[in-house]
Amino acid sequence: MRYGPSTALDGVDLTVRAGERVAVVGASGAGKSTLLAVANGTVAASSGSVRVLGADPAALRGRELRRLRARVGTVHQHLQLVGPLRVVHNVNAGRLGSWSGPRAAWSLLHPQGVAEVAEALDRVGLAGRLHERTDRLSGGQQQRVALARLLVQRPELVLADEPASALDPALADTALTLLAGLAGERGGALLACLHDPALALRHCDRVVGLVGGRVVLDAPAGTLTVAGLESFFGVHR
Amino acid sequence: MPRPRAARSGGPEHARTAIGRPAPRRPGPGPGRPTFGRRGFLTGSALAMAAALAGCGDRRSPVGPAPSGALSVGAIPDQDPEVLARLYGTVADAMSAALDLEVVYRPVTDYAAAVSLFRTGDLDLVWFGGLTGVQARLQTPGAVPVAQRDVDAAFHSVFVVDAATGLAPADDLRALAPLRFTYGSETSTSGRLMPAWFLRRAGVDPQGFPGGPGFSGSHDATLALVGSGSYQAGVLNEQVWAARTADGSVAPSVVEYARTPAYHDYHWLLGPAAVDRLGADLPDRVRSWLLGLPPGDEVLELFGAGSFLPTDASAYDQIEAIGRELGLIT
Amino acid sequence: MLRPARDRARLLCGLGAGALLLWSLAGSGVLGGPVLNPAGVGQLTRFAAGALHPDLSGELLGVLARATLVTVAYAVLGAGLAVALGALGAVAAARTTWGRRRAGWVAVRGALAVPRGLHEAVWGLLLVGVLGLDPWVGVLAIGVPYGAVTARVFADLLDEAPHGGYEALRAAGAGAGVAVLYGLVPEASGGMLSYAFYRLECAVRSAVVLGLIGAGGLGQELALSFTSLRWEQVWSAVYALAALCLLADVAGRAVRRRVAAPPPRATGRRDPVLTGAVLATAALALWSAWFLALRPATLVDGRTLDQLGTLLRAAWPPAGDGPLLSEIAVRAVETVQMSVLAIAVAVAGSLVLAGVAARAPRGTGAVRWAAGAAVRAGLLLLRAVPAPVWALVFVFVLLPGPLPGALALGVHTLGVLGRLSAEAVEELDPRPVAALTALGAAPLGRWLYGVLPGVARPATAFALYRWEVALRDTVLVGLLGAGGLGVLLSARLAAFDWPAVATVLAATVLLTLAVDLVGARVRAVLR
Repeated sequence: MRYGPSTALDGVDLTVRAGERVAVVGASGAGKSTLLAVANGTVAASSGSVRVLGADPAALRGRELRRLRARVGTVHQHLQLVGPLRVVHNVNAGRLGSWSGPRAAWSLLHPQGVAEVAEALDRVGLAGRLHERTDRLSGGQQQRVALARLLVQRPELVLADEPASALDPALADTALTLLAGLAGERGGALLACLHDPALALRHCDRVVGLVGGRVVLDAPAGTLTVAGLESFFGVHR
Repeated sequence: MPRPRAARSGGPEHARTAIGRPAPRRPGPGPGRPTFGRRGFLTGSALAMAAALAGCGDRRSPVGPAPSGALSVGAIPDQDPEVLARLYGTVADAMSAALDLEVVYRPVTDYAAAVSLFRTGDLDLVWFGGLTGVQARLQTPGAVPVAQRDVDAAFHSVFVVDAATGLAPADDLRALAPLRFTYGSETSTSGRLMPAWFLRRAGVDPQGFPGGPGFSGSHDATLALVGSGSYQAGVLNEQVWAARTADGSVAPSVVEYARTPAYHDYHWLLGPAAVDRLGADLPDRVRSWLLGLPPGDEVLELFGAGSFLPTDASAYDQIEAIGRELGLIT
Repeated sequence: MLRPARDRARLLCGLGAGALLLWSLAGSGVLGGPVLNPAGVGQLTRFAAGALHPDLSGELLGVLARATLVTVAYAVLGAGLAVALGALGAVAAARTTWGRRRAGWVAVRGALAVPRGLHEAVWGLLLVGVLGLDPWVGVLAIGVPYGAVTARVFADLLDEAPHGGYEALRAAGAGAGVAVLYGLVPEASGGMLSYAFYRLECAVRSAVVLGLIGAGGLGQELALSFTSLRWEQVWSAVYALAALCLLADVAGRAVRRRVAAPPPRATGRRDPVLTGAVLATAALALWSAWFLALRPATLVDGRTLDQLGTLLRAAWPPAGDGPLLSEIAVRAVETVQMSVLAIAVAVAGSLVLAGVAARAPRGTGAVRWAAGAAVRAGLLLLRAVPAPVWALVFVFVLLPGPLPGALALGVHTLGVLGRLSAEAVEELDPRPVAALTALGAAPLGRWLYGVLPGVARPATAFALYRWEVALRDTVLVGLLGAGGLGVLLSARLAAFDWPAVATVLAATVLLTLAVDLVGARVRAVLR
């Protein structure tokens, strides 16, 4: 996997099976985000093969590609919410992969599926914030809106890029429990990039370590310790 | 880190609205802050100012007045500009040769501007319509009508209608009252003043057409608008009507409905400043040249005239009275 | 709920805008009866066909080339004068200067509204009456109203710049003027430079409008061909104009981008690109002054003062008779309705087109690129064709009335607004849209949820600003049944009825001021 002159991922051979919860750890620039982008089909691999939920995203076009993408839910490091939109619309955006254009447009005027959105917000601890503008919320609250979006999207594969970076430790645990549960609900998998080794070990059953775009570690979580991971990757809390 | 968004609070209204990209806020002046070439900007502006203040030698402006030794000729813009350019190019050359003067033609795009420029003395000899000639004369004491064409002593306007109205040619202007109607330019004598006067005499309110009358801006635009059916009727200069009918450029749906009675129209008006500059005999020289043009002369051909005739201010008394009555002269 | 009062205010603004639009629509006659004139398609076709076959004869091209130089010279000198006047006026108009003495500040702001409230073409007509055939007509007609706008914007920039340095200087005993110069101007200089170049872009379009009233340049050539409806020639002039606008847009945009995001430099105190741009503009201004043979002495020579005296004496006292005032009231309503419709058309159009018109990020398909280029070219033509030309063209296919006038202004404004909105889209953070793509959103969904919410705010702000401009532009399109104060002004100017002209102009200024205040209020609510 190459980005211009530099190689972001190199010789990564990784298979995530249904029901698995995989943590990807590594220092900044190790290629974690690129790995997720390849997995959700927004970045095509320059060589090698990629299969997501049984399909090759690079081989799909238009509606087919969108249908595949709707089955993959991503929480991004930089939230990637639309600031001026109200919370309810940002959450509902999770359903744009399955909604028709007119329905999406109508929902902006008359929000659709409000009950489900309210329930999702309740689960992430943002009950009653349905009609606030998203960019008026704090960073942590926005991260929870992103989680709520994922809840209404109901994906089979959950990709999470530092989903807990703006949350306090207690909330971070809640968030990861949610994500793991969400992936489990539909028998899918969770692939989460995590900065915090402790979090990785608590919530995942497999840890993959990246250094310079190469997989240098792939082991069950039970065989690893927080201290060992910290010293190995030079990550600090 | 989220990127700064456009249109966040802070930043002045216009900078944000008009520029669309606010300058990033800097916390304060630091040692490495760029200055955006402010000094260069100031120096440049100062230089430009200095040059402007120093004047620009004796260079003639491409948009400025003619040199003081020359006679500047103009015309109201009611005719085809190409014809005007050819017309006045020829007129300027012929006049220059005959009077042994430098003659400069200045195109004007606005009726009122032609009157103003005559008043300020930037135009010396102008081919005015009846109304604009009166306006110019009233604002410029000492201006004298020099000559008119043979056709101008008995000029007419033509009322045209869209054939879809089903109106057959007639003399009764009252049939026009319920139609969407357009004049030409607001101070055109043949496209506005006299038709409005004759409409009023026939008992039609010249401003009372449905939705108010339009002002197309020119005789050609009037033809196009009636031709498109947007306006059901209009009025224009008989010469332009004849010329456009002859060359076949009028839409077949535009038909002549009526013709006004005769009135005085176009004439040459000479300003007092030119007389001061170029000699007291200038009006006579110009007049005798115009009157002495032999039949078939190119200038006469271009003006669509058999000859030029002498004229004087009293010929336009009727126009002045009508102009006052219709509120076009105050 | 956070800030419910604010939400309520916003809702009120929305409802108010809706009501205003309905009222304007009702006034335009769209709701009550036919407005289309299908028979005029032939004339429209002739106009459109001219676009494909512009007159490219050598003679015309020569004339146009020379006219282009005049237009450039007017634009550069007009914008230069505006920046100079703006810099001087900014200190007087800044809240900072007046501190708690609000009355003085309000007085200055009110005074600035006068030159700003009159359209450049009106300034041009008045100046022709005083200066006659003189290049100053074009320069002043652009420079004076633009100067007032610029003073206001510069004052806002000064007011919103960080005040720490300024206050320290004041505390150390510096006078207000010096403290502004040393403490605030450096802080605001980037924004000011950006704005100066934006004004230059606008000045090109204004220079064309001036040509329509006979001040020379491309507009004059266009007007001459337009009078006799020689569309092939009109289009040649329009293309020359579009090229000029494009050049100004591209250069101005490059400068503004550079100001907003200066490249990192190790040691350089000055950005060579910006310095180059400023020096080039200064050189262009020098050349323009030489080319137009601008003589400052003309401004104060005997004839000018004489004519100015004549004009002022003729206009004083302004007319105040009842019929005139009631006609002004009726016409003012038409003007507002026309401007509201125009802005509605422009906003709707620009929101739809902004996404496509924005330059696509690298790596998008050829179709998307081509669509973007086509829309951008279309917008360029919309703003390059002057509003009066659009007005006539719309009257071919619509029945006369306010609608064609409003549409003419609307499409012309769309040309400007669409470009500004497209720039706002380019400024948008691309990541939220990428996130929507990643979860499988279709293009419409991405636009609705990702682009529209981000652009609606800046587009509304631009629209409120352009509303004032559209209000003044109604002067240009009223003569074919559209109505508005422009009709009245034009009629009184044609009759040289100076007292009435003075009253109409005063009404125009007041109306502009009112719209400006409403706009500022709404912008504050939306912020």
